[in-house]
Amino acid sequence: MSNQNSYENILEIKNIEVVYDDVILAISDVSLNVPDGSIVALLGGNGAGKSTTLKSVSTMLASERGKVTKGSITYNGQRVEKLNPSDMVNLGLVQVLEGRRCFGHLTVEENVISGAYTRKLSKSEINSELERMYNYFPRLKERRKSQAGFTSGGEQQMIAVARAMMAKPKMLLLDEPSMGLAPQLVEEIFVIVKELNDKEGVSILLAEQNTNIALRNSDYGYIIETGQVMLDGSAKSLLNDDKVKEFYLGISSEGRKNFRDVLKETKKNKG
Amino acid sequence: MGSEILFFFEVLVGGLLAGTMYSLVALGFVLIYKASATFNFAQGAMVFFAVLSFVGFMELGLPFFLAFLVTIGLMVVVGLSTERLVLRPLMNQSEDTLLMATIGLGYVLEGLAQAAWGVEVRRLDLGIPDFPIMFIADSIGIFISALDLTAGAVAAFMVISLAVLFTQTKIGLGLRAVADDPGAASSIGIPLKHIMLLVWSAAGVVALVAGCLWGARAGVQFALVDLALKALPVLIIGGFSSIPGAIVGGLIIGSTEKVLEVYIGPFFGGAIEGWAPYVLAVFFLLKRPEGLFGEKIIRRV
Repeated sequence: MSNQNSYENILEIKNIEVVYDDVILAISDVSLNVPDGSIVALLGGNGAGKSTTLKSVSTMLASERGKVTKGSITYNGQRVEKLNPSDMVNLGLVQVLEGRRCFGHLTVEENVISGAYTRKLSKSEINSELERMYNYFPRLKERRKSQAGFTSGGEQQMIAVARAMMAKPKMLLLDEPSMGLAPQLVEEIFVIVKELNDKEGVSILLAEQNTNIALRNSDYGYIIETGQVMLDGSAKSLLNDDKVKEFYLGISSEGRKNFRDVLKETKKNKG
Repeated sequence: MGSEILFFFEVLVGGLLAGTMYSLVALGFVLIYKASATFNFAQGAMVFFAVLSFVGFMELGLPFFLAFLVTIGLMVVVGLSTERLVLRPLMNQSEDTLLMATIGLGYVLEGLAQAAWGVEVRRLDLGIPDFPIMFIADSIGIFISALDLTAGAVAAFMVISLAVLFTQTKIGLGLRAVADDPGAASSIGIPLKHIMLLVWSAAGVVALVAGCLWGARAGVQFALVDLALKALPVLIIGGFSSIPGAIVGGLIIGSTEKVLEVYIGPFFGGAIEGWAPYVLAVFFLLKRPEGLFGEKIIRRV
């Protein structure tokens, strides 16, 4: 009973520094925890270091000539430094890459099935797993025979998530699931993500630029900028935080603001 | 009149069967292209290397079957070292870099083969005569070489097994996934190393089979390397990523080059089968660059 493997945090990142090509510093100091069974949002703009953080966890950094040079990453009680992406998938951690990255020439169904590559399943087991995924993503069932390259952006995002879920992960890393999608579709996808977290018990770390929807669907949030954590807190507290409202949600005490208004104001103040 | 039609069919069938040999070589290219989106310029050298080693092992006294197995083992070792020494260090480099690397690999294999086994032309006797089968000649009146017929059967067998491998097995799905997007494939845990090893080994075995059939006809010699490049027009016509394309492309090249040689060749002073396939390939490049069966380039806007 001494080793129950019941860690409170499924993922712990401690003070990591990441360098690409031995010279480009992408992350200088990021620490974050993902409690088992929760959804944690990693927020920030372009180039803040969100993707880099996710890739250092899934160990996909090496293929982009990046390296974790300081700090530690512990997933499910195990240090990930010496592991490769296929080890991580076997340990139950799967990353959904930015930009969906479906296999364009494979059918929708083949794409989803390919996610079970690391599992030893019989044909009937694969089919029942497939049906389970189609329950979450009924749209994919309709398009199962289409070539994935010809499906819409939203469908491709669904394919990518369903494909990752076929590995039966304990933890998912989602990199910008909202990218390039219409607001309605983004909502639809986040509803499913939440459902997967509820019903499958999968812990989720998601990187997003869309602060609003990400926080509305997570338990906890970290805001990073230029490779450092600037702010963290429960999703609710971040949604109500004045600084977050102004900088990331475009809402100030005077009401809703967009970037143009902010610019106008600064001009006015100068004049 | 009747005899002229018969003669035409004889040329056509001979061409089609010779075409299956092109198809076999092209298959090796398709395998690697499908898994790594690279045109493997070393495929010709692999054909040469494989069959020269096979003949070499037989000269050392190994029986036919054993020599064949040992050569298959050797080709797996070649695949393994290629993955380890060339592909892995070049992972995530551009396709052009990989292409250049395969050209280099080709020279290395040619050199190794000749250093190990010498440069003289060998005869390879598969025990199948390159003479017309009298039975067919007597009954239909067409002369078909037994070697051609065997080559056709062997090619058909290889094609069917590869098609099954690609479309019906888990490994095949992994192969196609890696071909589409190696990064995404590795994100869902498909081990790229194993896939590459498998593909290069399979391409090695295909090279050996193709080399045996070519070698039995033309002698085991350095010219096999250039002969293998005939696969280029085959692939342009059939499509680089398609197994059926390699087959049909081979048949088209084989039959047209023979028919053109016999009927139009005399007007050009003969020997047009050396260049006619390339003219056909240029025509295809202009009209249908992805080939007959190639995957259309998907570009969403």
